[in-house]
Amino acid sequence: MSTTSELPKPTLTPISESATSSGASTDPDRPVLAVGVSAVSKSFPQRGSAALEAITNVSLNVEVGEFVVIVGPSGCGKSTLLNVIAGLIEPDSGEVALGGDTEAERLGRVAYMHQLDLLLPWRDVLANAILGLEIAGMPRQEAESKAAELAERFGIADFLDAYPATLSGGMRQRVALLRAVLPERDVLLLDEPFKALDAITRAELQRWLSDVLDRTNRATIMVTHDVEEALMLGDRVMVMSSRPGRILLDLDVDLPRPRPADVVREPTFVELKWRLLSALDGTSEA
Amino acid sequence: MAVAIRIGRHFRSLIFTMTANTRQDSSESVLTSDSVVDESADRTLAVRVRSFGRDWGSAMVLAALGLVLWEVLVRVLDVQTWILPPVSLILVELVDKPSLFLRHASVTAQEILIGFAVSTTFACLMATAMFWSRLLERSVYPFLIASQTIPVFTLAPMLLIWIGTGMGPKIVVVVLFTFFPVTINLMTGFKSVDSDMVAMFRTLGASRWQMFTKLYVRSALPFLFAGLKVAAVVSVIGAVIGEWVSAASGLGWLIKTSTPKFQTELVFAAIFTLSFMAALMFISIALLQSRVLRNYPGSEPQGG
Repeated sequence: MSTTSELPKPTLTPISESATSSGASTDPDRPVLAVGVSAVSKSFPQRGSAALEAITNVSLNVEVGEFVVIVGPSGCGKSTLLNVIAGLIEPDSGEVALGGDTEAERLGRVAYMHQLDLLLPWRDVLANAILGLEIAGMPRQEAESKAAELAERFGIADFLDAYPATLSGGMRQRVALLRAVLPERDVLLLDEPFKALDAITRAELQRWLSDVLDRTNRATIMVTHDVEEALMLGDRVMVMSSRPGRILLDLDVDLPRPRPADVVREPTFVELKWRLLSALDGTSEA
Repeated sequence: MAVAIRIGRHFRSLIFTMTANTRQDSSESVLTSDSVVDESADRTLAVRVRSFGRDWGSAMVLAALGLVLWEVLVRVLDVQTWILPPVSLILVELVDKPSLFLRHASVTAQEILIGFAVSTTFACLMATAMFWSRLLERSVYPFLIASQTIPVFTLAPMLLIWIGTGMGPKIVVVVLFTFFPVTINLMTGFKSVDSDMVAMFRTLGASRWQMFTKLYVRSALPFLFAGLKVAAVVSVIGAVIGEWVSAASGLGWLIKTSTPKFQTELVFAAIFTLSFMAALMFISIALLQSRVLRNYPGSEPQGG
């Protein structure tokens, strides 16, 4: 499971610094549980009919440094699961623990990137990127220099004073990711981050994402309905059933990183893809 | 009469040049929309003038045509001046008595501006209070709506009894007219903030105050400006109604006292002045809006 040894040496210094200071190490013998979801269910009351059960009895553990991808048919409650983990909604039953703590307030501790970029149109790229730091109370100049440091790596250094309306969809998603990543949270949630993009931009950003994300100190949970995207990016891929969402399959992706574009032709990849697809096939008929 | 004819001729040539200009503008704007890719950085004066022509040219031509039609019809049908004076005579009236109109216009303008400022302030406070307190919103909102069913015109004489003469009651009438559109628009602005945006702020750990200043206020600004534009126009009506009931000066008073004397040119000249003032208010707010909302979506066409 630990693929960290094959990773290129992380160069995202600010994030690694914060992790070492907080004592969260990625010692492969003693994995640190970043997110623990146990037996979580959530249903939404419907007017005039039975409550809509979004997820039932979902359990999921993600270690620090792990990249977990959840695939499932549309409307299977994937986003509900992320919203619960982020603290946006409370589950009806079950518990969510961040770093082993079930009581803690989760809002403000989990970085969450939505499928829409949700950039503020009245702020330029730099001001959008530092929003999280600004809310955390960091002085503006410090926040701006921090954002500018990472902007190069995110490929948006030349656009820092551009406004979102002038940027392409791919660029906007990069800014949104930078905004999510800058406050250096231990957990990053990605809700179909490339859904709104065209296929070419999408493939490009998938490759870019696995390069740009320093995964050593952070747990990442991504939701998608694209099986190839899941296998390109994930250390583990989970299949969720259609509503009410349950975890059907939990698959280790035993492919070395970095994964080049032609990894899709490798036998392991094809085999894993087939297993995922057949599991998904079962869900749509259910 | 000779003056009037000269003005009329001047008008015709003015219209001619304006039509010529707009035609040129529209043909050019087709070109620019394709070729000018980099935008906004430094808008030259020429570009400004051209875009002004594109935005307002056709309306100005229509207005000019209307005025010309008025002039021609009144003259051709030989309408009595005290029933409906030709446009040229109204303009002559304006040019002949600048100090009269300036004096009354300044009184009315004061009532409008003070009333506008007071009601905008209160409207912002009220909408903000309702944003923070559901209870307040639920209890006050119905009355806010109900208040609009009261014809303010009938209240104006009562204001006279309650507050007395002078500028006070006029300002109050302006406030009564303008408070509602600003409050309602601002409240609508607060309510229409994208829920995904709110969720995004929550995941960043934003407090309600941070959300208010960084998200709600900023997203409500276009709504606020829409309300201010409506308020700008109705504020003039409010001031005139206030003056109608009791006044010793102001354009509304001038109209009221001149009508029975059949000084129709004077009446129309005062109406023109009032319209001009309302337009000036509207345009000032529109200009302020385009400055403040430069980077809001849809506020200005973007190149990308």
